[in-house]
Amino acid sequence: MVTICLGLEGTAHSFGAGVVSSDGKVMSNVWDMIRPQKGGIHPREAARHHSEKGPTIIRHALEEAGVTAQDIQLVAFSRGPGLGPCLRTTATMARVLALHLSVPLVGVNHCVAHIEIGCLESGFQDPVTVYVSGGNTQVIAFAGGRFRTFGETLDIAIGNMLDVFGRSAGMRFPAGPEIEREAQLGREYHALPYSVKGMDLSYSGMLTAARRLLSGGVPLPDVCFSIQETAFGMLAEIAERAIAHTKKRELLLTGGVARNSRLTEILSGVAVRHDVRFHRVSPSLAGDQGAMIAWTGILQYLAGNTVDVAESQVLPRWRTDEQEIRWRAM
Amino acid sequence: MVEYTVIAVGAESEILRTRLWSRELVVKRRPAKPYLHDKIDAYLRRYRTVRECKMLAYARGLGIPTPAVYAVDLAECSIVMDYVDGVQLKELVGHVSPEQLVRLCKRFGEMIAGLHRGDVVHGDPTTSNVLVEPSGRMWIVDFGLADVNATVEMKGVDLHLVRRALETTHWQHQEQMLKAVLDGYQSIVGDGADEITRRMEEIRQRGRYH
Repeated sequence: MVTICLGLEGTAHSFGAGVVSSDGKVMSNVWDMIRPQKGGIHPREAARHHSEKGPTIIRHALEEAGVTAQDIQLVAFSRGPGLGPCLRTTATMARVLALHLSVPLVGVNHCVAHIEIGCLESGFQDPVTVYVSGGNTQVIAFAGGRFRTFGETLDIAIGNMLDVFGRSAGMRFPAGPEIEREAQLGREYHALPYSVKGMDLSYSGMLTAARRLLSGGVPLPDVCFSIQETAFGMLAEIAERAIAHTKKRELLLTGGVARNSRLTEILSGVAVRHDVRFHRVSPSLAGDQGAMIAWTGILQYLAGNTVDVAESQVLPRWRTDEQEIRWRAM
Repeated sequence: MVEYTVIAVGAESEILRTRLWSRELVVKRRPAKPYLHDKIDAYLRRYRTVRECKMLAYARGLGIPTPAVYAVDLAECSIVMDYVDGVQLKELVGHVSPEQLVRLCKRFGEMIAGLHRGDVVHGDPTTSNVLVEPSGRMWIVDFGLADVNATVEMKGVDLHLVRRALETTHWQHQEQMLKAVLDGYQSIVGDGADEITRRMEEIRQRGRYH
């Protein structure tokens, strides 16, 4: 029998609801992202956005999937990691729905969900995953019953670096797409600090240097070009290190920044060199959305891993490697 | 005509084994990466080759066993150095007794400490970069990411990387291994070790969004 799951995602700037069936069909995936007029994301404002838009988004997700609330057999929510107010708002909606519909509740790890939806789409069994977004920069692979973080940023996430730079260049949040467009016009490469430490990396020095280039009169397209080449080059290197180290045969690129074409091009070059398969998660599944939560919720539910409403407190600092992944073979 | 056998292909280099000048040697070569911007690629290959040569010799001066360098070619970005007839520490974990594992990790910690005492950080201190000879003698290799004039922060990152390597690769033994590494480290660095291990903890908490 097919199980139908409603997944709610709300860890940061986006709220999403997705309906997915246990045979791996994404029946709907609706989301909305808060876009402040200026500045970045305030956790309280984002949480208010989720509570205001949430019910409508959930209704749309059910309509698009062609199901009614009574068809939902399982509710999954993003339990962490993320911004506390956003997580709590989303969890509240999920708990109410689960109680009201008398269906089990599943608390999903946001990072794990990005990987699992990527595996569903690509058919990959056991990839090295490069997960890049506004809040995360991690290279993750499965080992010994858990998803382990082989490398990550030691300071700020790549998306955050792009947004902060974009803000100083007068761009609106999120700045990634505009930086990508500017970079395509860039011609001249200006050296920026390249900081790889083992399989970890650091972007704060690069950010400072890039802002200095801009205020020193270097044309914006050239600065954007140099930022992309340097930041993505560093990511390529830690991905390569993880592939060489784990000897895995698949490379998955996911998260909001996966939408960037130049990053995709560089990582596919890495894959060719190391003779591994490569997949970039398609834009509609790359960012934060509910379908990934719903799908991971199904995997987790089938492995007998649900949570009681009374014990479903959010986990803002939930590390990727803290969860035992019961649905994957050791 | 010199004959080579490829013995390892890493993320950024190839290791070839050869016999030259009546010695067993390896050639470490950093080939070009066509998918990177050519200026970044050229800079990294050259910089790391130079850095590795210098730091292998410098670390030896600090009393840390590293392969001797015989030649370097900056156009090819290759280094000719001693062949070490050993096994990576990574490969030994799970195949030696618990006492033996503690001894090896303690020695690993002592080597890192020896570098840090000389204000050098290794930059990629994983168990793949520690070689163990059949006699038990240990070597540390791969100095392309090493740095001098190390601050507390840099040393903290180095220890953080040790821990990261243990938790991703040797999760079954990570607690015992980390304790042994830190014991070895403390035995050489002494009182100053506390400040650095505290920094290691602090670094672990950064970079995550909460």
